[in-house]
Amino acid sequence: MSWLLRRNMLPLHSNSLARRPLASPPPLLPAPLPSPRETHLWYVVPDQLKDASLLNQYMDLLSPCERQSVLRMNGERLQKGALLARALVRTTLARYTDCRVSPKSFKFRKNRFGKPEVEWNKYDLWAPPPLQFNISHTSTMIACGVALDLPIGVDIEEKQRKTRNNILSLARRYFSPVEVAYLRTLADLESQRHEFIRLWTLKEAYVKALGRGFSGAPFKDFTIRLEASNSKQVTGESKSDASRIVVEAVDHPGILMNRWHFALFELNNSHYAAVCMERDVKDPDRENNSLKLEVWRTLPFVEDECVTETAAVKNIIR
Amino acid sequence: MASISGTAIATFARPQFAARAQVVKGFSGLKSVSFSIQRNGFPSVRLQPAPRRFQVSCAAKPETVQKVCEIVKKQLALSDDTPVTGESKFSALGADSLDTVEIVMGLEEAFEISVEEESAQSITTVQDAADLIEKLVEAKSS
Repeated sequence: MSWLLRRNMLPLHSNSLARRPLASPPPLLPAPLPSPRETHLWYVVPDQLKDASLLNQYMDLLSPCERQSVLRMNGERLQKGALLARALVRTTLARYTDCRVSPKSFKFRKNRFGKPEVEWNKYDLWAPPPLQFNISHTSTMIACGVALDLPIGVDIEEKQRKTRNNILSLARRYFSPVEVAYLRTLADLESQRHEFIRLWTLKEAYVKALGRGFSGAPFKDFTIRLEASNSKQVTGESKSDASRIVVEAVDHPGILMNRWHFALFELNNSHYAAVCMERDVKDPDRENNSLKLEVWRTLPFVEDECVTETAAVKNIIR
Repeated sequence: MASISGTAIATFARPQFAARAQVVKGFSGLKSVSFSIQRNGFPSVRLQPAPRRFQVSCAAKPETVQKVCEIVKKQLALSDDTPVTGESKFSALGADSLDTVEIVMGLEEAFEISVEEESAQSITTVQDAADLIEKLVEAKSS
């Protein structure tokens, strides 16, 4: 069964939605829980949604409060995005509950910085999995990352995103000196822009994993960079040219905040994606083990496709 | 880049402003489930609560608000017929954290002011931005 989950596209009821009564949406493909080093990332491409009745199905999953928030967005495009984001979170989390919790049943609360978390009901005979999640969106994609019991932050950005302000002006204002210095080494403006965006997504993913967000953890206070690592492979050979993404406080350079590991990659050929996850303290080899990634493209209730080993996920740096 | 809608954006909703958000009645709300946009007579019709008119020291001039609206619309690539007013919340306009910093830098350039990070964090609506700008402009000239 898990082989099927990984390798095949599993279209669900793609043509029968119009005939299905609103009361019973088709079942969601369940997913096995992430392992401690794993992030599961589910993403939806809004442009793939052509069926208006699907929007009503998604709306039906939301709490009254969420519905109001969606309707407060300014314009149809933003409302659709907001609706899809909530539907993605609810349907994604539901997949990990072994069909016991429906997407509609989830409740959420916010931490003191405003980061949403799951608020589980009390169950007599079942312990809900300690799911951690985080979402990010652009106008052309919404992504939801899930981890088991470990804080996670996700950020995505369109590769083609242009900034109105000069890259170095933005960097000097918001990035650390080490990061600015790195950007300055890039002679051509396009590379500079791409690296700026990638660095931005990494920094955003980090502050979201921290649970503090952009306003709670100033970007200027920490540096994210590549560090050459001398980790040994299983064969015993040292991989001295391997590098990994690390974070350090500007005030304490050289002291790496090893609690966190990262993955940066290209998604769907259209986006840069960054994931930051806390390392599992129970893992004896946690210093060296990198973050594992499983990625699905989804249109909830319509189709799911595991894209982990495909061209949709490439150029992974950890 | 932004996470979900008005309830939790990339910067995360700031709890201390939740009450304030509820007081504001923007006419960017009130849509039916079929997602039609209610068009209003912008900019001649503005739903501002009456008492604001008398808070001369706090409320920014309409021209300032208008200029902020223009800068915001440009940054967020909103179409000309998308209603943006003083009451518009940045999160409801789809601004993520990078948009927000770019808007702040755009405002600094347009008004020749300098906005501190702490003040920038407290801006949630276009009106907030306009009010802060006028305060800074006034402080600069005094």
